Amino acid sequence: MTSGITPRLWRELLVLLQDEAGERLAIERLLELWCQTRETRSAGLYLERQGVLEQQAAVGEHLPEILDAGALERGELAELEIESLRLPGGCLLWSPAGNPFVSPEEADDPLPVLLASALKSFRLKQVLKEQQFQVNYRVVELENLYDVGLAVAGTLDLDRLSEEILLRAMSLLDARRGALYVLEDGRYRLERNFGGEAGRWFAEEDPDLAVFLSGYGEGPADLLPGAHHLLSVPIVFESSPRGMLVVGDKESRRAVGPFSSSDRRTLGLFANQAAIALENARLHLRALEQERLEREMHLAAEIQRQILPKGAPQLPGCQLVGWNRPAREVGGDYYDMFPTQGGRMGLVVGDVSGKGIPAALMVSTLHSALRLLLDQTGIGPPLLEKLNKHILESSMPNKFITMFVAELDPESGNLLYVNAGHNPGLLLHQDGRIEELGSGGVPLGLFPGSRYQAREATVGPGDLLCLYSDGITEAESVDDEELGTERLCDVLRSHCEEPALQAVLDAVRVSVEEFSRGRPQGDDQTLLLLRRDLTP
Amino acid sequence: MKGGDALMTESLNVNVDRRDGLAVVYTEGYINNQGGEEIARVAYKLIDEGYKVLLLNLGGTKIVNSIGISILIEIIEKMIEIEGKLGFCCLTNTIEKTFHIMGLAQYAPIFPDEPTAVAQLKG
Repeated sequence: MTSGITPRLWRELLVLLQDEAGERLAIERLLELWCQTRETRSAGLYLERQGVLEQQAAVGEHLPEILDAGALERGELAELEIESLRLPGGCLLWSPAGNPFVSPEEADDPLPVLLASALKSFRLKQVLKEQQFQVNYRVVELENLYDVGLAVAGTLDLDRLSEEILLRAMSLLDARRGALYVLEDGRYRLERNFGGEAGRWFAEEDPDLAVFLSGYGEGPADLLPGAHHLLSVPIVFESSPRGMLVVGDKESRRAVGPFSSSDRRTLGLFANQAAIALENARLHLRALEQERLEREMHLAAEIQRQILPKGAPQLPGCQLVGWNRPAREVGGDYYDMFPTQGGRMGLVVGDVSGKGIPAALMVSTLHSALRLLLDQTGIGPPLLEKLNKHILESSMPNKFITMFVAELDPESGNLLYVNAGHNPGLLLHQDGRIEELGSGGVPLGLFPGSRYQAREATVGPGDLLCLYSDGITEAESVDDEELGTERLCDVLRSHCEEPALQAVLDAVRVSVEEFSRGRPQGDDQTLLLLRRDLTP
Repeated sequence: MKGGDALMTESLNVNVDRRDGLAVVYTEGYINNQGGEEIARVAYKLIDEGYKVLLLNLGGTKIVNSIGISILIEIIEKMIEIEGKLGFCCLTNTIEKTFHIMGLAQYAPIFPDEPTAVAQLKG
């Protein structure tokens, strides 16, 4: 058998091989020559990659574009009336015509060698192309790592950020599936998943998960249900775990497989970047939440200011002033001054246990109930008993209110009062004597059916009545000493003859401030002063 | 300790709009091995139908991996082989950047939106 390669064909091939497009034509020319000399109906050159034969060039009748390399060994091609010749790195296939085939090894024929050489050229090009692809994709990976620290860090929306991180991680590792978990209250909560189902949460101490995050074991079965290969890394910020990234089933062109140790390192690097971005977003969210809370707190403080008296009502023959300074933006102290029947004046000072919003809410409840019940009962034990019932029903357990309620007849100076577990009122008489207006019952909200006793005192001309909350007498100095009732009485004695009652109040306020200078205010402070004029 | 029910599942949806010699292929979902193969199947079918100008509108795709890209490169090579034209439009910034790095943009132009892409590819 002759090869059929004439000097003219050699020249033609040499011309064709001068450029890339011509190379394929040259190979097709060789395949045509194969068909002519072997009298076959078709011929195709196949490159073998990963157990698969891929057609690179073919002429004549249809030949399969792709087939399993094992089919050659198993003799399956005979059923398709296809003959084969193994070449280094691939094979030559052809469908024979009716003439018997003579093995090329038996003939002095350079054609198979030329085709093998062509196949090698295909392989080299393929390798070059794949390497170029890998180099480019490595650049994509680096860009992704870089971007996740920039573009991703620029995203403060936690939802968008989570999606961005997960999608980039999956893309980076050619993962078919993935999930991002955030660590909250001792468990990993599913924040985002893609490509398939994912378990909603896992306990942080889950032994399978802990081992898996360390790079060993197979991980919990329901992490990505149905995935055959898993890889997970923790998201750690400043040595503190914040979440985890999970990817499943690394894709190749023909199947899915396990992730490599290099993939683990890449995902770990990515998770480090993601941790910073997630932390930024978390801090941003927290700042927004703080801002919202502050706005709400301002609003609550404004509402509480509306509850407290805006000024003292006029009371003939008397001066009346009140003051309140909460330890926080809102407080649990309450005071009120209001005219009652017969030209009398109602006075209230209350102190809710605790501070802040919960106490302020109870103050609001107390204020509403007091004003509603006053019309029914007037000032006296029934008012306190009804208030006790209301507070008991509407407040949390262990919450209570101490309260001093009084009603003054400005003409006679008669003071009717009920003290429900509050600090004793101080009545500073003209002769310097101080009368303590003690308790007539337990604080409100402690026990059902509590009873209260009304007591009376006389506020003589020039006498000064001082009602206050324990934030005044329990104000602490830097030496952890309390101001105490004695010091309060001393201040009252020293300033009780100030013409303006406001000056007495200011003196107490300043004394408290100076005493506790350098210490944060520990409790709400309330002061209510009433003084009968010396002369009518 | 394990979690409860699972959440969403994504797969690639491909839709085609055939218009006067040009076909717009819309993708929605992950362009990975499976997604890429589906795009290739649709693209080769369009080529068999005689379409030589294809526009891949990736507006519904947020993620593409290297396997998906290699399949897109094969489609580009096929279009070059038949002397046709292929373009991309509506890419996310991340995907556009990836396509530039991977060299796809060198052989298949990227357009910001579909009307621009259609006008340019038809011109």
